Amino acid sequence: MKDELTRREMLLGAGALLTMPAWPAWGSAAVTAPTAKVTVGRCMTYGPELVPTLSKMFDQLGGLDRMVKGKTVAIKINMIGVRSQRLGTAPMEETFWTHPKVIEAVVHLMGVAGARRIRVVEGPWSSCETLEEVMLSMNWKPQDILSAAKNVEFENTDHLGRGKTYSRLMVPGGGLIFPGYDLNHSYADCDVFVSLAKMKEHAATGITLSMKNVYGSTPTTIYGQGAGVDEPSLRPHGGRGGVFHFATRAPSKSAPQQIDLTLPKDAGYRLPRIIAELCSARPVHLAIIDGVKSATGAETNYGSRPQAAVNPGVLIAGTNCVATDAVAMAVMGYDPMADKGTAPFANADNMLHIGESLGVGVRDMGRNEVLGVPVSQVVFSYSAVRDKILAAAAKKA
Amino acid sequence: MALSAESNPMRWPAGPLDIALQEKTKGFTTDKAAVLRNWLDPATLGILQGTPVNTLVVSWAAGLASDNEQQQALTPLIEKGRETGVGFVGVIDGEANTSKAIAAALSAGLIAVAMEGEAPADAGIPVIQRNADARIRWSGKSPVLSLSNGIWPGIPQDVNQAGGPTNLPWVDSNGATLRIARALAPDKDVWIEFNPPQQATAQTAEAYMLAVADPASYGARWVVSLDDGLRADLSTKKQPAMDTWKKATGMLSFFKEHNQSKNYQPMGRLALLSNFSGDDWGRGEETLNLLPRLREPARVIARSRAASASFDGLQAIYYTDQEPPDAALRAKLLAFARGGGILFVPSKWANPEGTPAPAEAYLLFKLHTLGKGRLAVCKEEQPDPYDLTADLQTIMSHRYDPIRLYNASSMNFFYETSAQGKQGVIHLLNYSRRPASDGPLFYVKEPHRTARLVSPELASPAELQWSPQEAGGSELSLPKISVYGAVELES
Repeated sequence: MKDELTRREMLLGAGALLTMPAWPAWGSAAVTAPTAKVTVGRCMTYGPELVPTLSKMFDQLGGLDRMVKGKTVAIKINMIGVRSQRLGTAPMEETFWTHPKVIEAVVHLMGVAGARRIRVVEGPWSSCETLEEVMLSMNWKPQDILSAAKNVEFENTDHLGRGKTYSRLMVPGGGLIFPGYDLNHSYADCDVFVSLAKMKEHAATGITLSMKNVYGSTPTTIYGQGAGVDEPSLRPHGGRGGVFHFATRAPSKSAPQQIDLTLPKDAGYRLPRIIAELCSARPVHLAIIDGVKSATGAETNYGSRPQAAVNPGVLIAGTNCVATDAVAMAVMGYDPMADKGTAPFANADNMLHIGESLGVGVRDMGRNEVLGVPVSQVVFSYSAVRDKILAAAAKKA
Repeated sequence: MALSAESNPMRWPAGPLDIALQEKTKGFTTDKAAVLRNWLDPATLGILQGTPVNTLVVSWAAGLASDNEQQQALTPLIEKGRETGVGFVGVIDGEANTSKAIAAALSAGLIAVAMEGEAPADAGIPVIQRNADARIRWSGKSPVLSLSNGIWPGIPQDVNQAGGPTNLPWVDSNGATLRIARALAPDKDVWIEFNPPQQATAQTAEAYMLAVADPASYGARWVVSLDDGLRADLSTKKQPAMDTWKKATGMLSFFKEHNQSKNYQPMGRLALLSNFSGDDWGRGEETLNLLPRLREPARVIARSRAASASFDGLQAIYYTDQEPPDAALRAKLLAFARGGGILFVPSKWANPEGTPAPAEAYLLFKLHTLGKGRLAVCKEEQPDPYDLTADLQTIMSHRYDPIRLYNASSMNFFYETSAQGKQGVIHLLNYSRRPASDGPLFYVKEPHRTARLVSPELASPAELQWSPQEAGGSELSLPKISVYGAVELES
């Protein structure tokens, strides 16, 4: 086995098998990395086909009502990156952000399934503005989401928000980089946690799907470049690169500190582990990936990379984030079993592999139950799009 | 020619006084001295032919031994200038005998003198007061006021500088200062002085184009100033230097031709109201620097003119001064809030009116419901300028944004409209001086009938297409811009 994991990680993974997550694991009582159901739906637009497609997919997973009835649901959406930097004229929701129509549809279906309270959460880039304000700044209609079901609310989780204190979520088995994380209360005050992600590539980690989406749960008041040294700052200042990517500074001292300060200061090493830790500490009960429209090349517009707005026309949902991301990778034309050095993990370890070692889920598609439209019918090769862009650029040059 | 609104100034270092002033500075060489001597040659005025530059600002007196020699040495240049329609403004500086220098200027036929400090009451010649920005003063007899400490526009070399935690870079712009000057002295033409940074290589043509466009888009004139290398190369008519000069003066010509917005008024849903002097200068100026980075167009109201100022169309007013307003102004501001506006005031606002209202804990303002509107009192005496500016925008809400700008992290925009609001222009300045990967994109809440982009970078104006948005408003996609473009709107 081509294995980049260290002995410590293997041991921690084994430890995780013995130390079950403190969280009630919805739909799973397994003691090994749980296998899961994942379903794929064809959906070319954000029009009327969206709700029935998602509804059918949730039914294939066993039904939303079984998951959310009478429960408080937290839905982590993806609105990360500098909001003023679009990819050409394409709006953020058609490239890098979860589309509001998908959010609205999921909230609606959660409401129909009997969710008691639905809290849409995200830590938009270094801002303490309410999510409603961020949506308004992008010309969205937040009221459409708020009125899609009963008891819907937004919370910006990049800071303390409406909580009185931050909630500490520990990594079962002790963690690889950090033993635990201090997060906005919304990530603890929920019965069901949903990662509602976009189907994207990522400059540092290769991919950003439902696992990577959870990375955005970390408040920059603690993990940002301008976070308080001793205590969290009141307001978010700066990105997470210093603490998470490169270890040039520590999180606020009030939060759990890095286990070993001699660990590599390389984003390709650190980020996959931190992401896997977060998914272990805050398990995802339902992973949903918006691949109707998206962007290739990176998680946001870098300007200098071969990127394009694309229309893969696919939705993916599953009861486990590792399993769901594995299917999404296959849809994107990548091998979820690949490791560092193989696309899309050119410079990073495979976060799915590390997640698997921590007992979060299984990346081998053959061991999960994949339902809905066969993956082979919806493959949309992200690398082929990139190659086409590069070839066109070369021809132009 | 007389000093007027048509005067296009350029700093013209030449002669013994400039040599004396510069010879003790680091890096001064005999070659530079030769260039300064060479620029006394009337033939050098040839580079002004076909350009809008018609006013040369020369060193006239500095209280040095070479003052008289300088004035004599400039005579042939001044006489040649008179023949070709070029006027001269003499700078009086340092320990110069002001009366003597002014008398010499009158005798030599200068169109004005420029000096710091109080202007003599009976000079007999326009005296342009040169002011550091925080002490803006002007003389009634001169149609021009000059700001002496402008900054070379662009993106600072220090990569750690950011315009806030938004990932947008900080930009060096003279916009805030010029807008304040315009508000304080609306009947004056504003000149601004700044020099190119001294560096090993000459500044690029685009750098000079931006140096022209940054003040010009805010209705002011840069006193054109060349770097040593460009000045030397222009003397010998080296082609790259001539090309740079052509592009720089091309930008001047562009603004001369596109001056229909001269009488337009800056637009925005927020107004800053201050006396902009002393300690209050910094607060107002910094907020005006930051608002463009948050894409929030704003108006500026001088406190001295607030009594007669119209608050129509405003959603909010930020009264920035630590000193409380007089009773009449306070009443006017409170009436604005009671009528549905938001009044932002500093922490020293005594006995806040209205009923305390709930607000997010992180906000720097305590909110009070007041009639149909709100009074927002800052909690801190010295708040973080970025956080404060961000909170102004948050409390006003993006729901009412009149304009948004995308794909333009190194750009600022400035929006003006005609008195009736039927015409408008959005000035767009690119401080990186090179096009971004994607063309800029504007969201406009209230679309106009037509929109076209004019720019010296385009062979002809580009008609822009409105792209209506599902949630309201419309978007305009622009071609890539290196330095400057203006979107002209017509309803």
